[in-house]
Amino acid sequence: MRELFRGPSRVPERKQNLPQLYRFCFLMLGDSRKAQEIFHATLREAAVRAARGELPDEPFWLFRDARWRCLEATKNDLQPESVKMDECDVAREAESQIERLDPMQLAIWISTAPDPQRSALALFYLDEFDYREILDITDLKLSELSRLLAKGRRQLQAWLDSKFPQPNKV
Amino acid sequence: MKLLSSMRRQRSLLNCAPISARQLADHPMRSAMSRADNSIEFVDQQNFDRAVARLVRLIPIPAESAEWFSEKDLVPTTKRTWRDTLRNPAVLAISIAVAVIAGVFVFNFISHLNDFPGSATARKLLGIAASTRPVMLDPVNAEAGKLSDLFFMKHGLEHYDVPDEFADLDTIGCRVFEDDESRRIAQIWVSEKRMQFFLFPAERDSKTGSVLRFPGWRHVHQEGWTGAVTEHNGVCFMAAVRGGDKELAPYLSQPAGK
Repeated sequence: MRELFRGPSRVPERKQNLPQLYRFCFLMLGDSRKAQEIFHATLREAAVRAARGELPDEPFWLFRDARWRCLEATKNDLQPESVKMDECDVAREAESQIERLDPMQLAIWISTAPDPQRSALALFYLDEFDYREILDITDLKLSELSRLLAKGRRQLQAWLDSKFPQPNKV
Repeated sequence: MKLLSSMRRQRSLLNCAPISARQLADHPMRSAMSRADNSIEFVDQQNFDRAVARLVRLIPIPAESAEWFSEKDLVPTTKRTWRDTLRNPAVLAISIAVAVIAGVFVFNFISHLNDFPGSATARKLLGIAASTRPVMLDPVNAEAGKLSDLFFMKHGLEHYDVPDEFADLDTIGCRVFEDDESRRIAQIWVSEKRMQFFLFPAERDSKTGSVLRFPGWRHVHQEGWTGAVTEHNGVCFMAAVRGGDKELAPYLSQPAGK
């Protein structure tokens, strides 16, 4: 199966890692059922294309395809209000705050971010791609990706602070 | 201005710094990271990113989705047959190369199967026999067996005796020369079958200096010539004739001393 989806581009197996593809869908949608639907639809389509010998000759096409399906699926959902979110510098205690989080909570937080920040955060925290690969998948520029990640960190830190207030910060 | 832009790019790279060593960093990223290695801000950022990535890895995979990770293919792939494997150009090329190497090895093995001490010299002398003309030898009119005295008296060559099997044959000419290893070789041309005889020192053990003996007659072949070689008293005798073994067989089979 993995061999099948590696395709003619001969992308290293790590880059077409199917469990990571599911996690990506989950982070993009924040909903296990929807994530499974998109994941299955992406793989079914890939299997059909493989049977026809029409696998794309480009790297990361599975993730690219899944990303567009996720964005399409949430197009008609309730969109987050464009309010200015609080931001805080990354704290030294952030690690312990994050450890208290549930993966579902993190996924919901990321999935509510507007795109392309959502895609950038989901791809970056999968720890599957380097920055050039993320730029390739999202069609962003380095400065844009950098800004989106930095902003995401600061917003996540502010959310963590509100959720798990640190005694010395109160 | 340039410095500002460089610092901005470095800041951008640091914001995208890889979370784990699994992600290979390119040169600009490595250099930006090495500059920021001791910065508290960057260390905090890396710890933050690692904690989030650890949390992401905890996302469970539902059983229905995990079925897709099995090794089985959705599309049946055609199994490669032996015939396909053999038709593969790489396999074909390697097979031919191995066959050629094996052929050369077998040829060398067979050609050295009948080697004996002095066989290399004997083959060289067959080459000389092929290129020798009668005018190159001193005319002699005597039986071959009687030339031992000539070799001893004139050239100081001891035990350069023609074996009894060939001793009665009439000689046309003879000479003594040195080969490329300064060994003194006696060459005799006889009238019968335009045969040539060679007498040369037998090979010796490089450590002990003792003669490497071998029993009876041994055959060597070179450029259409055949030689029958025997060793006696530290001197090898070779009867060389154009043709195969059968040209020499009548002489070798007859009782010595005829």
